[in-house]
Amino acid sequence: MTSDNTPVLTIRDYSLAYRVPAGKIEVLKGIDLTVHRGEIVGLVGESGSGKSSLASAIMRYLPGNAEENAGEIRLGETDLRAQSQRAMADIRGRRISMVFQDPATSLNPTLRLGEQLAEVLIRHQGLSKDQAWREGEARLAHVGLKTPAEMMRRFPHEVSGGEKQRVVITTAFACNPELIIFDEPTTALDVITARQILDLFGALQAETGVASLYISHDLALLSQTARRVAVLEKGTIVEEGETAALFRAPAHPYTRALIDAVPHPEKPLVEAPVGTTAPPLVRIRDVSVHYGRKGLLDTLLRRDFQRVAGNRSITLDIQPGEVLGIVGESGSGKSTLAKAMTGLNAFEGLIEFDGRPLRGLSDMNRSYRRDVQIIFQHPDASLNPRQKISEILARPIKLYGNKDAGTTRDRIVAMLERVRLPASTIDRYPHQLSGGEKQRIAIARAFLSNPRLVICDEITSALDVSVQASVIELLMELHRETGATYVFITHDINLVRQIAHRIAVMYRGDLIEVAPASAIADPDRKPYTRELLAAVTPPASTQRAQPTLS
Amino acid sequence: MTDFLRRLFRTPQGLLGCLIVGLILLAVVAGSWVTPYGPNDMQALARYKAPSAAHWLGTDQYGRDILSRLLDGARSTVVMAVLATFIGTLGGAILGTGSAYLGGRADEFIMRTVDAVMAIPSLLLALLVVSLLGSNSANALLAIAIAFVPSMARISRSVALTVRKQDYVSAAVARGEGAAYIVLREMLPNVIAPIVVEMTIRVSFAVMLFATLSFLGLGAQPPASDWGLMVSEARQFLHRSYWILLWPSAAIALTAIGFNLLGDGLRDALNPRT
Repeated sequence: MTSDNTPVLTIRDYSLAYRVPAGKIEVLKGIDLTVHRGEIVGLVGESGSGKSSLASAIMRYLPGNAEENAGEIRLGETDLRAQSQRAMADIRGRRISMVFQDPATSLNPTLRLGEQLAEVLIRHQGLSKDQAWREGEARLAHVGLKTPAEMMRRFPHEVSGGEKQRVVITTAFACNPELIIFDEPTTALDVITARQILDLFGALQAETGVASLYISHDLALLSQTARRVAVLEKGTIVEEGETAALFRAPAHPYTRALIDAVPHPEKPLVEAPVGTTAPPLVRIRDVSVHYGRKGLLDTLLRRDFQRVAGNRSITLDIQPGEVLGIVGESGSGKSTLAKAMTGLNAFEGLIEFDGRPLRGLSDMNRSYRRDVQIIFQHPDASLNPRQKISEILARPIKLYGNKDAGTTRDRIVAMLERVRLPASTIDRYPHQLSGGEKQRIAIARAFLSNPRLVICDEITSALDVSVQASVIELLMELHRETGATYVFITHDINLVRQIAHRIAVMYRGDLIEVAPASAIADPDRKPYTRELLAAVTPPASTQRAQPTLS
Repeated sequence: MTDFLRRLFRTPQGLLGCLIVGLILLAVVAGSWVTPYGPNDMQALARYKAPSAAHWLGTDQYGRDILSRLLDGARSTVVMAVLATFIGTLGGAILGTGSAYLGGRADEFIMRTVDAVMAIPSLLLALLVVSLLGSNSANALLAIAIAFVPSMARISRSVALTVRKQDYVSAAVARGEGAAYIVLREMLPNVIAPIVVEMTIRVSFAVMLFATLSFLGLGAQPPASDWGLMVSEARQFLHRSYWILLWPSAAIALTAIGFNLLGDGLRDALNPRT
């Protein structure tokens, strides 16, 4: 496969540190990595492992406080470290290109897609404007966009995320570069779109034989795309090898821990549901949520006003003590439903909680607020950065705690123990804690009011795999202890199959169906459910037995 | 805290601003002890004197020592300006943050009212308040505070709108917290940084507004040693001795510059990312 003897990318003994007021932070330590022509090398690591710093180092786009050692970064025969900024500008886009994580931010919102694509062709291939435009259309047709001529004239906000990422990939492939760096190109996309983008990437890769460095935190995904994988831990490559061999027999304990932490649908973490004869805890009847408000001017001018629908007549029962998973793409209305249930959104319809009907926000009284708790996706955003943990956790006690259960501080310390945080956490600020610790605080805050229903809104998607595993373990433990009902909203289908009793599938504001978790993969499910499940990448470790593509 | 001070002192504006404001505050605190003469001690034989060893900054039309009057006046001028700014800023910040929290039609109503008040120039508004309530220092302070509320409300509302969307505010709403707790404890501490910066810059405006009001005879009344009043009185004697006019004007300018520089320095120090 690799007939050329010089690798496209050679990194030898490269180290990188950032100077900060408190001293030096080492980000990369003695990195050795080669990528040959036609090869996809995966680079896997958790957040803070230095993946993105390595990408910046290769692109020679480092911040001013970066400090490098004498290590080597070569593109073919070219020593990238010896290039001037001017020479690098020529190399970027022509010989190396990069695909970023979020297509929404990597395209300029004020330029048409065609202009952004043509600019690369004009700059690096010396085409005239008309030639570049025609060439751009041809390239867009090539990546499977149906109306390339129209697409060229559109602005980024007028096309979907998947289409945007296709344009970004086209731009990256535009000048037949020697090396393309992919920085988590599918993380910001929905499962189905991500699958299509991956297929496209595979096809283009096979066709052009470009060398690729594929950065990701998703082991399952890498196990399918990359031929070789390097595992990065805290700036050091701890293990590198053929993908199949590495996943079959990981040598380094860190790799093994990473593989084991990946959620696995065949290993359920909850006990079978208790008898379902009890009346449902929550009955949701025809609940709709609309966004937007008719303005005064519209009323005066009698203009038509179209509200945006977040949810369209959702009807759903939630049994006491069960874990109900809600899955769907972004924009499918999962979080909108959660917000309606916690009184953050106005809704139409009826929610019955424990037999008590609620028709609007004003019906949500103190006891409902206590019984229903929500945990948000980003712990950074859900904990007030100006409040100490002691104040954050004291609020639910002050609002709902009973007086004879000991002092506030004692109860906080006891709760911290239950979420397995040291008691010393109490006097810290949120920014002094890691992402997983912050999420534990958010969980502690929800459980301090002894809720009967806990809504978890994508609570693990901002966390690394290993942290996610421990947070899920904690949640399941609390579920066993308190018997609280969970609504677990996520886009990670492997995870939800592992922890939920029943799974509700949502699509564009509608509830498609609700099925027991054990029967979600049945062939007689609705077409959308089947499509969603087919797009999911199976966890890496299940592929050990399968023969790999060679 | 020490980290914050280090960042503040690293920029030239921050360092200089701190020095000037520190000097002024020293004059405010210790001014009346170090004055060589009483602020209202008249010396009939030493009128209109140029700066000399006996009178460092010269004397005015009644033979009063200008340095003594400046140091004595620092207390009323600067303290009043800081107090007026603080009251105005706090009122505006609570109004703006509350408006952002309420949202919808309430927000619309509050902000349009604020817009209407803002259309009146702040000096005119201050003049209006003082002429309605009567001219003395306390009313001048109130007038300036009221004149500062609308623009502070706008600034804090724009910051608070982004804070309003944060999950910790949603969490507080979902938990059933009262509006007062959410505005004062959850939102206000997170909008405070730009407000503190704006406040320090506004102190210089307040010093000048006070001086203007006193100059127009609507603030402090003679024989007070308020800086604006000193300028106003000295105007008539400009041709006899310009020192009387120069020193209080310079003191006002220095205070304004000092607080402005401090504001710039604070802005950089409070935003470590810029």
